[in-house]
Formats: sequence, structure tokens, C-alpha cells
Amino acid sequence: MPCERKPMRYGHSEGHTDVCFDEKGKCILTCGSDGDVRIWESLDDDDPKSINVGEKTYSLTLKNGKLVTAVSNNTVQIHTFPDGDPDGILTRFTATANHVTFNHSGTRVAAGSSDFLVKVVEVADSSQQKTLRGHDAPVLSVNFDPKEEFLASSSCDGSVVVWNIDEQVQVTSWNVLQKSSDVTNAKSLCRLAWQPQFGKLLAVPVETSVHLYERNTWSLVSSLSDDFITQAINVVVWSPCGRFLAAGTIGGYLTIWDVGTKLCVERQKHEKGYTVCGMAWHPSGGQIAYTDTEGCLSLLDGLATTSHSTATPQQHASSAKVKESKETKDYDDLFDEDDGRFLDEEASESPVKKSALGEDEDDDDDDLMPATGRPRHRSSFLDDDDNSQDTGSVALDRLGAADDASSAVEPLGPSAVAAVTRPMYEGPLPTPPQRPFQPGSTPTHLMHRFMVWNSVGIVRGYNDEQDNAIDVEFHDTAVHHAMHLTNALAHTMADLSQEAVLLACVSTDELASKLQCLHFSSWDTNKEWMLDLPKGEDAQALCLGQGWGAVGTSALLVRLFSVGGVQREVFSLPGPVVCMAGHGEQLLIAFHRGTGFDGDQALGVQLLQLGGRKRQVIQGEPLPLSRKSYLAWLGFTAEGTPCCIDSEGVVRLLNRSLGNTWTPVCNTREHCKGKSDHYWVVGIHENPQQLRCIPCKGSRFPPTLPRPAVGILPFNLPLCQVATEKGQMEEQYWRSVLFQNHYGFLSSSGYEIDEEGQSQAHKEQQELLMKMFALSCKLEREFRCVELAEMMTHSVLTLAIRYASRSRRMGLAQRLGELALEKANQEQPPQHQEEEEEPNYTSRHAGQSRSRTPQQSRREEQEEEEEDEEETQEEQMDTEEVAESRKPRVNPFKKGSASPERASPKTVSTASKEARVNPFKMSGPAKQSASPAGRAASVLDTMTTANRKPAASATTGSKQSKSPVLKPLVPRPKSKTQATLLQMSSRTASKKQEKPQQEVEERGKEKEPATERLKQAQEATSPASAGDNQENRR
Amino acid sequence: MDPSEVEFLAEKEMVQIIPNFSLDKVYLIGGDLGPFNPGLPVQVPVWLALNLKQRQKCRIVPPEWMDVQKLEEIREQERREETFTPIPSPYYMELTKLLLNHAADNIPKADEIRTLVKDIWDTRIAKLRLSIDSFISHQEAHAKLDNLTLMEINTTRSFLLDSLNSMYKLRSNTQPGSAAEKTMDY
Repeated sequence: MPCERKPMRYGHSEGHTDVCFDEKGKCILTCGSDGDVRIWESLDDDDPKSINVGEKTYSLTLKNGKLVTAVSNNTVQIHTFPDGDPDGILTRFTATANHVTFNHSGTRVAAGSSDFLVKVVEVADSSQQKTLRGHDAPVLSVNFDPKEEFLASSSCDGSVVVWNIDEQVQVTSWNVLQKSSDVTNAKSLCRLAWQPQFGKLLAVPVETSVHLYERNTWSLVSSLSDDFITQAINVVVWSPCGRFLAAGTIGGYLTIWDVGTKLCVERQKHEKGYTVCGMAWHPSGGQIAYTDTEGCLSLLDGLATTSHSTATPQQHASSAKVKESKETKDYDDLFDEDDGRFLDEEASESPVKKSALGEDEDDDDDDLMPATGRPRHRSSFLDDDDNSQDTGSVALDRLGAADDASSAVEPLGPSAVAAVTRPMYEGPLPTPPQRPFQPGSTPTHLMHRFMVWNSVGIVRGYNDEQDNAIDVEFHDTAVHHAMHLTNALAHTMADLSQEAVLLACVSTDELASKLQCLHFSSWDTNKEWMLDLPKGEDAQALCLGQGWGAVGTSALLVRLFSVGGVQREVFSLPGPVVCMAGHGEQLLIAFHRGTGFDGDQALGVQLLQLGGRKRQVIQGEPLPLSRKSYLAWLGFTAEGTPCCIDSEGVVRLLNRSLGNTWTPVCNTREHCKGKSDHYWVVGIHENPQQLRCIPCKGSRFPPTLPRPAVGILPFNLPLCQVATEKGQMEEQYWRSVLFQNHYGFLSSSGYEIDEEGQSQAHKEQQELLMKMFALSCKLEREFRCVELAEMMTHSVLTLAIRYASRSRRMGLAQRLGELALEKANQEQPPQHQEEEEEPNYTSRHAGQSRSRTPQQSRREEQEEEEEDEEETQEEQMDTEEVAESRKPRVNPFKKGSASPERASPKTVSTASKEARVNPFKMSGPAKQSASPAGRAASVLDTMTTANRKPAASATTGSKQSKSPVLKPLVPRPKSKTQATLLQMSSRTASKKQEKPQQEVEERGKEKEPATERLKQAQEATSPASAGDNQENRR
Repeated sequence: MDPSEVEFLAEKEMVQIIPNFSLDKVYLIGGDLGPFNPGLPVQVPVWLALNLKQRQKCRIVPPEWMDVQKLEEIREQERREETFTPIPSPYYMELTKLLLNHAADNIPKADEIRTLVKDIWDTRIAKLRLSIDSFISHQEAHAKLDNLTLMEINTTRSFLLDSLNSMYKLRSNTQPGSAAEKTMDY
């Protein structure tokens, strides 16, 4: 039903109010807690006539020039209308009367009072009173049946009673209301209403629905409800024609139903959501006047009840169409209306509820007006159609004539059918597309807001009476001092980088949308430039990168600028922009790639590389978001990995090593204490792993004052069973892998990288792998061990092999040996890097005292090996290594010698040594050892840091031989206690150790020449002994 | 102990600051501080916070208890109860003084906080005086001083000890006298 909601205007002081029309509908009468009755010529009447009737007025009614009011001195008074002269007291109670009402003819007045009584008084002769006793609590409301046979009353005792007036007895009663002790405590005023004309139906507001009871049978015929009514209904009124029923609720909803079809034909919301406590339908049916508990008065105008009655079914349809029309409506409208609410108001609401109700609610709050504009045309043009089939207005006349039970429902038949046949769309509902936003900003409607908060600084916007200004503040004052600008252009968007501040405003009637850049890092004197966008094009999102800026506009364009103001490339977007982010030479754009359904957003994302070789890295692929959520933040980590956060608080990071997929790395909601608490993210760092965000209590975003403090959240991959040790380590491992992706990206795009950090991360990963390996070993999961080993680098793999054989898993060690060979073949190039890490692992490993391998072997052959020259040992090692890798099938020998082999470092050899080594390396081709030879120098260079760590005997031994300078460094960091501990443990273990060693040797003899066997044993132990010797010497 | 010495001790309390400069970890004898990232809160001792603040290198985040509502609660509790109530920080008075004198602009409602802390202080000192009074008049041998802060103890310690000493002297001089005399001492 099309109607216009007039703005609220002040009527009375705060408190309970009531409203009625005079019989001709010329004026509106209101009463309020200020004790006045005001007579309004119209809603726009600036000088209403005021009649003071008492201290407080609770209710009023008017008929035949007599104004009856219930006032606070427990009386029901009469005043003349329109003069307002006192005309005596109609009746008195021992408590205040809560509701007074005239009968249809205006001869009698019924009043319900807080002293539990209902009185029916003749207006002409106030001595003729009938008292209806029976309620056990204050009476809330009374209403005459239009035929004056019955009177209905509701009371705080929870009952609704129908009385026979003449006999003064209860005809029937329903206990449907909530009990309360007093009117002030009552949930609802429970104003009853009989259907006009014949009183066929009695409407009773029961909680959030209206019950319709049929006359005579007093049975519940139907109940009218609406999804949007969430709070109790206070008042119900019938249209004069009796076809429509309007209800006003505590929450400020005004709902009109067509009683015939039971469909809601109109919904309006009180502009401030105050409780509606008085409603009156204009005698002609075209208006509803209503008042609220704040003393304000307003109208719903243009209700087409009688004149357009046939049109209403179409209006049902059209109200259903509202949703569809939404799709066709211009996006911008929705942006401005729906999504503003969506984003702001929903902040405190639970998101699930939002998604269920969100769009409809939005529709009805504000959008019904624009939306109904369309259906109105529609209904009028369909009118002709329907009139030809069935003249609704005639039907209504008939309704007047026929005193028939069916008449209330029947005449609507054909048109109701029409309404039903019109297909109602019941599939998934489209989600209003979310509005463009700046990442790190708070909603634009706030007077004091953050226009952006990022890793560089904060831009705050103030827009209040005194000031319209922008404050720019830098976290690091070394970048630039704080700035204060007047915001004459009303900029709403901002971005901040180390070089510039970019601001933009939308167009107004006269002015085009403008872009303003404060290029504070410029070395010339002009620190500012400004640019107008073409007419009709509005800036919607902007971002700054290094040396460039970009703006996404309503014309689906992205315009690039240099930071100095040179216009650069322009390109089209596949959909309306949502937000943009820049970092270095990367530009990340989120846009609407289509319509989402059922609360989901359909966003796409583009990632462009603007520097050097310009290319598109991600070509408009869908951006994954949680169900029923929208994008809340988009940006880059400090290291330059794209990242997005949705309204459910899930942080997703682009995984460049897995085909540019998005991996959830954190759920900020898991860290929230309260349901409505959120974290407002301001920055993400990969090294160290930090999610910098501001905890917001009870809202989605922080206020500007008091100044919010930044907190740090950890990342957590959503892996399974993170409570277990295994799950934890897996999570740590994969997180570490994910968060070091940026090294690869940075180095590939030519940035210098923090190599120490990278090697640290690498080390951490290998360490975790080793731990997992040990855990799996303990759990006797050998297959899993091999799987883990596959992820290890070669050097760590040797440790794993050592570990396996020490824990007497020869089968496993053998498999790992095979694996190691494969790896050695594949991984020739990166070996030197791994090399430098190895010492650390060994030490850690040894520290765990699970694997005492190196020491054991060391002790064992310490004496005999002492005279051996270190150099030769090393050579042997090399040969062994190579030989191994070239003989994948010579397993038996390796199986046994797993421990010695472990002790051998891989590729530390020089060309000169190479030559000597050869005798043992019959099968090993020369080229293999040649390649490491070239690397040797660099290995030594990089090794220095690693060497400082408590070094494993193997590597140290080899190194000592080469660079005497390093020698003293080697064992030093190893604390004495540790060393002794290890030695002790190795002593105990050494005896045990001897056996397998011998076995190995025996087995080895079967297939290999004894000499080689010996050498292996030697080389395995000798480096160890060398290392150990040193320790001992100390 | 001097009040300034107590204040010196108070300066070792940690407080959160938001630096506006960038600096790696600082290794000091008392422990490592930092790293300092612009915009990211970090815990530092009060002496450093104040120093940085004076050089306009940081903003100080007031401690959690330095909040009008919390202090009001404490004040009410302090007034309600006979004994000393637990105080959020052992150096509340010193910290309030220090922070409010040097970083009042970073602390919302600084004046109210100053008044509230002074109120709490006054209440507690009044209690302390009262209890000392009864301690002496009843000639108690010992008293329990739970929840008293160092600064509060130091306001009375020297005076109290001296006076107890001299009273002891006086009393021991009058000791040979009669019992009646002894009671009449006070």
C-alpha cells in the first residue's frame, strides 16, 4: 500500500500520548502527559489550539462535539469541542482511568480504570452508569462493539473480556496477555478494536501478532503477524472500511494488513524507533495519525484504502516485487541506503541475524518509499485490468450492505486470487552489494572518524559544527610532522603512504569529484596537486603505492597517477570497485564480480604488478569470503603479500606458492571475549608474524577518542587437532612455510631481502620437520616418517637417517637413505645453503639427548683415529658421499653404515682434494664433485655464522681442516655441562653401539671390498672424533 | 627513606608507550627493551617512558587502573572499609604524580584522576594516623600494615620511630614510679 510517512513533529512533552480524529476528519486531536489536548488543523499546523484539561491526560475520545478525556485526578471529563470549555465530569474512579472510548453513536462512553473497573456512562445523563466488575488488575483498554451489544476490555491480569453491556456479564474471556501488576509495567497497552460497521471481528494485540476473534462464536479466526514485528504491539486500529487493520508496536513499527488476505500491505518504521502509543485512522481512510511515547505526532498519508481498494492485491505483489526491483535499481541507491546501514548498524548485531533479516529490513526501513514509487505506477495501470474482472469498489459497497459472515473475507476473493497467482519469488535472495570503502577507515557518517589507519600513520576526519578538518599523523615522526588541513572540499576518502596523502571527495551538484594529493615528500616547493574527475564520475576508492596512486571510480575505471600528478594508465574494471590497496609496485583491487545471494558477496580480485614488467598477477578471480560476510579490509602485509579480512574476522593471506590461493591465517573473532566485540585490523606483518589490530568492545570499529591502542594477535592456520603435539607442529610448520613465501616473491621482484630472517625461517621449518620426524618415529609411524623426510632438505635428512638408525629402525633408515640419494641428485644446487644450517640442527638434535649418534661414534674410534690426518678424512667423506649417491642400489652397505654416513658433510671439498679422493670413487663421476668444488668458497663464507653455533662434529671436522681460522670457534659455544652430559651419555651408549657397527662391517664385507668398508667406518667416525677431540682437549 | 628514593624505585615500574620512532632492541643491564616500532605499543620502565615523552618521542598509555571509574570504586571501597584495601599498584601515588606531571595530555580526564588519587591517598593517610594513634594509646607491641605502600609507610616511619624511641625513653625513666603514674603517662 503506497503511503507517505510524514516527518515526526513535536506534539507534547515526553510521555504517554493518545490521538484521535474528529468525526469529519478535519482536525487531529492529541493529548499527552503535559495535560493538554491539542487540536491540529493539519500536521503542518504551527499553532495548534491547546486546551488544558488536567495535569496529565491518559486518553481522549471525541464525538458529537464532546471531548472526553481521562485525566490524572481519577476523573473522566467532558469538554466542548471545538471551544474547549469544561462541560463537567462524566465519572470518577478511585484510580486513574486508562482508556476512554465513545460508542458508535456517541451516546455512551466506556472507561477502563486502574481500580479494575470498567464503567459505561450515558453522556447525556452521567448518573446512568453501568459498572462491569470482573477484572483482577488495572484495565488497559475498552472498546465498544459497533452494534453496542458488547464491550471488550483488556486488563493487566492478562485477560481480554467481552461483556454484554446490558446484562453486565462476561460473555467470554481469553487469557492471552502477559500479566503485569500495573499499567506502567504492562508490556503492551493492548488497545482493542472491533471491526467497524458490524463488529464481525475483534482485533486483540497479543505480543507480536494480532488475534482476530469472531463475533458470537468467539473463536480465534486468524492471527496477523509480520516478521518485522519483534516487539509487542501496542495499538491496533481498523480502517473505516473495515478491510485493513493497522498496528503500532513498541519498537515503532507501523504495519497494515489486509484482513481478507492476511497479507501485510504496508510497513513503516517510526523514524526514531520510538514506541507508538496512539493511532487513529482518518474517517475517510486515507491517513493514519500516530503518536509516540516521546510526545511526537505524525501521519501516514496517502493510504489508498477505499478509493483504491482493488489495487491492494497488486500491492502485495508489488511489495514482493520490491525485492526484485532492488536488483534493477541503481547500485548507488543501494550503496547509500542499504549498505550504509548494513555496515554500520549491523555492527552491533549478530551477523547471522543480519543475513537473515538484513536485506528485507533494510528495504523496509528506508527504502520502501523509493521502492514503492514504482509499484504505485504498476498498480494503477493494473487497476483497469482488475476492474474489468471484478469491481472491487462495488464489492466494498456490497460489504456495507451485506451483513454476512463471509462478507468480511469474500469480496476480496478474486483479487486475492490474483495476488496469489502472481508468482512470488522464493529462491535465494540477492545480497545488496557492499559499498565501496577504504581499508582501515571507519564509517563515513561518523562526525569523528578515521579516514585511514595504516602502517604509515593515521588520517582522521572531523566534521562537526565547529570544524571540518583532516588531521594527518604519522606513526614515525621521522617521516613527516603531523598535518592539519581544513576539509573545504568535504573529502571522504584518504590514503597515506611514506610519500604522500591522497584525498578524494565525491561530486556535488556544482563540483566535480576531486582528487587531492599532498605530496609532502616532494623536493620542489609545490607539495600539493589537485585533479577533477570527469563530470558524472565519482571517486569511490583510492590507494597509494610507491611513486604512484590509483583511484577507482563509479565509471568502472581505475585511473593511475604518478605521485607527482602525471596521469598514467587508465583501465576498466569488470565490476563496481569495492576497495583498492597499493604496496610498492603492486595494486590490489576488489570489485563486485556479480550479485551474491543469501547474504554472500560476489567479489573478484585483481592484482597488478605496475613496476618494470607490468602484468596482471591475478586476473579477476573470485575473492573467497566467509559465508554471509562482506569484505572488511583489503591490503598488503608489510612484506607485500596481499591479504583480506572479511566481516567474520577471518584473515586470508595470498599463498603465492600454491597458485595464488587464499589461505586463512587467523580468525580474529576467536580472540574476542564478547559476542559483539571485534578487532579492527590496522596492519599485518609476516616477519615477525603479527596481526596488528585494535580491540573494539561492542563495535566493529574504534572511536577516535580516547585514542585506541593497538594490540597484536598471533596467526593460526586452521589445521585440525592443533591441541595435539602433532597438530601443533604441523600448524607451525605450514605457517612458517606460508609466511616465508614473501622472501621468494621479494627476491624475484628484485628487492633485497632479509637473508638472516629467511634462513631463520628455513631453519625453523627444518627443525620442526625433524621434531615431527622424531615424534612419528616414537609413534612407530615409519611411513609418515618417510613422508616427512621427503619435505626435508638433504642435510636434515641425513640427521633423520642417523636418528632412525640410532633408534634401531634400520628399515626406515634404509628407505631414508634411498631418499637421500634421490635428493642429493636433485638438490645439487641448493646444497650449500643447507650446509650452513646443518650444524645447528645437529646441536639441537644432540641437545635433545635422544640421538647421541655423533658422540657415540666419536668415542668409539677416538683413539685409533687420532693420528689420522684430518684432511684425508675429509676426502674420504667426500668420496663416500658421491659414491653413495651414484650407487642407489648398493643399499645393504648403506643400511649398516647409516650412522657413519650421517656424520659426513656433503659437499665441502676443493678441487685439489678432489684429485686425491679419486681412488675410492671409482663409480662416482668426476663432474659431481666438480660442481661443489666451485661452491666451496662461498660455503665457507656463509658458514661463519652457522659455525658459531655448537657445531656438529662432522661439519666442524671438515671445516677445521680447511680454515684454521675457524678452528677455535667451533666448540666454544657448547656449554661445558652440555658437553659432559653428552659425553656421559655417549659413553654409556658406546658399548651398545659397537655391536651394530660390527654387524655393519660384516655385512659390508659380503659385497664390498673390505678396504672400502674400513674407510667408510673411518671416515664416519673420524670427523666426529676430531670434533670430540677438541672438546676433550678443552 | 626519602620520598625521592621511593620515587626512584617507582620509576622502575613498567608502563606501556606508543613510540613514534623506530629502534631495534636495546640491551640494558636491567633487561632488554624494545624493539620500538612506530605506532606499536611496547612496555618500558617509567623513567624511559618519561624521558621519551619529554623528547616527544612517544605517547604514554596510562596504566589500566588509572581510570576514573576504577579509581572511584577504589575510593569508595577505601572509605567504606576500616582496614587498608588493596591498591592496584604499589606505587600508585608516585606513578600518578609522575605521569600526570609529564604526560597529562596522554591521560584522559587527568584532573579528575589527580583528585581521585589524592582522595584515596588522604583517606589512607587518615586511616594510618588513626591506627597509629590507637596503636600508641593502647600501647600495642605490634601492628599489621597490610596493603600499605612504600610511600605511605615512609610518610610516618621516621617520625613514628623517633617518637616511639623517645616515648620509650621517657617511659623507662618513669618506670620506677608507681603503677598509677605509669597509666597517667598518657
